[in-house]
Amino acid sequence: MKAVTVRTRSPAAGGPSLPARHGRYRGETYYDRPALKAAHWDWTVSSYIFLTGLAGAAQAIAAIGQALDRDRYRGVLRNARFLSSIGSAVGAGLLIADLKTPKRFYNMLRILRPTSPMSFGSYIFGAFGGLSWLSALGELRSGRGRLARLVRRSADVAQVGAGLTGAGASTYTAALMASTSTPFWAAAPRWLGLQFATSAVASAAATLSLAERWGGRTDNSRRLDRLAALATAAHLVASLGARRQRHDKGLDEVSESPQGRRLELGDLVIGGAVPLAAYALHRLTRERAPALSVVGSLAVIAGGFLLRHGTMNAGHASARKPRAYFRFAQPENLPRDRSVIRLGPPR
Amino acid sequence: MDQQLTPYTTEAERTAGVRIEPGKRYGFFTDTTVCIGCKACEVACKEWNQLPAEDMSLTGMSYDNTGALSATTWRHVAFIEQVRPAQDHERDDGVPDRWLMMSDVCKHCANAPCLDACPTGAIFRTEFDTVVVQQDICNGCGYCVPACPFGVVAIDDCDGKAHKCTLCYDRLKGGLEPACAKVCPTDSIRFGELSELDAVARERVEELKAQGVEEAYLYGTPDAPGATGGLGRLNAFFLLVDRPEVYNLPSAPTRPSQRIGAALGAGLVAFAGLAAAAVTLLAGTRNGGGR
Ligand code: SF4
Repeated sequence: MKAVTVRTRSPAAGGPSLPARHGRYRGETYYDRPALKAAHWDWTVSSYIFLTGLAGAAQAIAAIGQALDRDRYRGVLRNARFLSSIGSAVGAGLLIADLKTPKRFYNMLRILRPTSPMSFGSYIFGAFGGLSWLSALGELRSGRGRLARLVRRSADVAQVGAGLTGAGASTYTAALMASTSTPFWAAAPRWLGLQFATSAVASAAATLSLAERWGGRTDNSRRLDRLAALATAAHLVASLGARRQRHDKGLDEVSESPQGRRLELGDLVIGGAVPLAAYALHRLTRERAPALSVVGSLAVIAGGFLLRHGTMNAGHASARKPRAYFRFAQPENLPRDRSVIRLGPPR
Repeated sequence: MDQQLTPYTTEAERTAGVRIEPGKRYGFFTDTTVCIGCKACEVACKEWNQLPAEDMSLTGMSYDNTGALSATTWRHVAFIEQVRPAQDHERDDGVPDRWLMMSDVCKHCANAPCLDACPTGAIFRTEFDTVVVQQDICNGCGYCVPACPFGVVAIDDCDGKAHKCTLCYDRLKGGLEPACAKVCPTDSIRFGELSELDAVARERVEELKAQGVEEAYLYGTPDAPGATGGLGRLNAFFLLVDRPEVYNLPSAPTRPSQRIGAALGAGLVAFAGLAAAAVTLLAGTRNGGGR
């Protein structure tokens, strides 16, 4: 039988209701037992998400650098290409290691399913990895021969593709988490997308900045620091927005759990306040202490990982808390009109 | 479609009065008001599907020592022992102390989140409108597990594949009623065509209401609690007499894939915005900013 999408009339305001005598939800559970099963994901998945974000955004920044001023951003281009080709290889390894039947990893490409970020994400990631390797080939072929020129030219074209697929690779992972029933991930899909995108750009800019500083190209490092600072500021807004929306959807129990607190420490402090302070001080002191820029960049990178890892663990915790799920799964939290994809600020 | 694939009377016709034909929609109607908690369904399911026993210890919370659905437990009888605190016994509000029992199972959702999530195509919709995991394709990515809004499907660490109720796909193919429904001594679990089950269920609610059981309602039929948020309907649906949460069910579950657009869209917009900012910040030929 063909898969059919059953459409129902849009429910009355607030969704279908129970007989009136059951009243409002007052925290009932079934002997406090979990109502959901948590994903089995561990550090391999959070590292993969972090790595694809970092590599994807690095390739996008490099593509912009290549278009603006190729000579000036030679180093950025080279570093992004190597980072992303190695990163995508490691990422693929992490993904396969995460499977419970890894020898069947190729079944991931058996179908393409638009309702599954795990499915279309594999294609985005595969394309990104391939284009990244192609772009890296351009770094390996110097010389004046026709073949060398062809390789370099196709590497430059691949760079644009790697930048575009990089945008997808670094953000689809937010959809991967949001499109589950795990309450902590499901409660703030838009904000999660903003968080992952801003964090990806921030950590990529920070990593490339570190490398430029290392290579003595201070001015490039300064520009990348600004990008990292801007992305971090945007990230803080997104993180605070996510926090508020989770509060509105009844998930305080998760935010206040040890896992929720650890996420806030890692994301808001290490990945937010610390780097912003370091970057600000660096500028205020007229860049006399390069260590400040380095500290800022390292904090951004660490924060990027802690965001992914902390969000993952807080999600696992939320799946095990029946009250958190039941508060979230109330009619008032149902999407009001599911035919429209709203991109504006969440309600 | 050939209506008479089987010229003889099948077993399901004799045991459940149901003729099983590809292309029709089948499911379970579980009427919890007649469940006696005997767990025959759990046993029959394990026997037919050759599912191993699990942890043999006692939970200590109620007569429910099964605990939850799992990769090797596809029917789970929940016991809810509602004994009000002593002081409430003074109040005569007509609600007695009571035991509620419910045989939980995979809901075989119309728009199944596990199927939406499955990247390999291992999970598919059968010709009977049920949802089944193909063991020879599943690679154990585990994404169906957090996708399910009811905590049903699970990975078995022994074989690294996802498992759940198949609504006895093999039995249906052979014209047999699913094992749990066949064995249920009170007909709390009824197997049949959805349109017929819906009618039976609606009638039963009316009957109960006429008997004064005002709190009875259906969970999982179209536009009822449980069939919310784009799930369409649950092919395995229930008659309940207390809030869904009491039975470990969510009031208003959602179809997770509906959140893809919001997360991905917002992410890409933010990414594009920062890329535009990067163009400005990285442009310029001279070395700016002092030294
Ligand atoms: S209840 Fe869960 S496992 Fe069963 S069909 Fe629905 S999503 Fe899949």
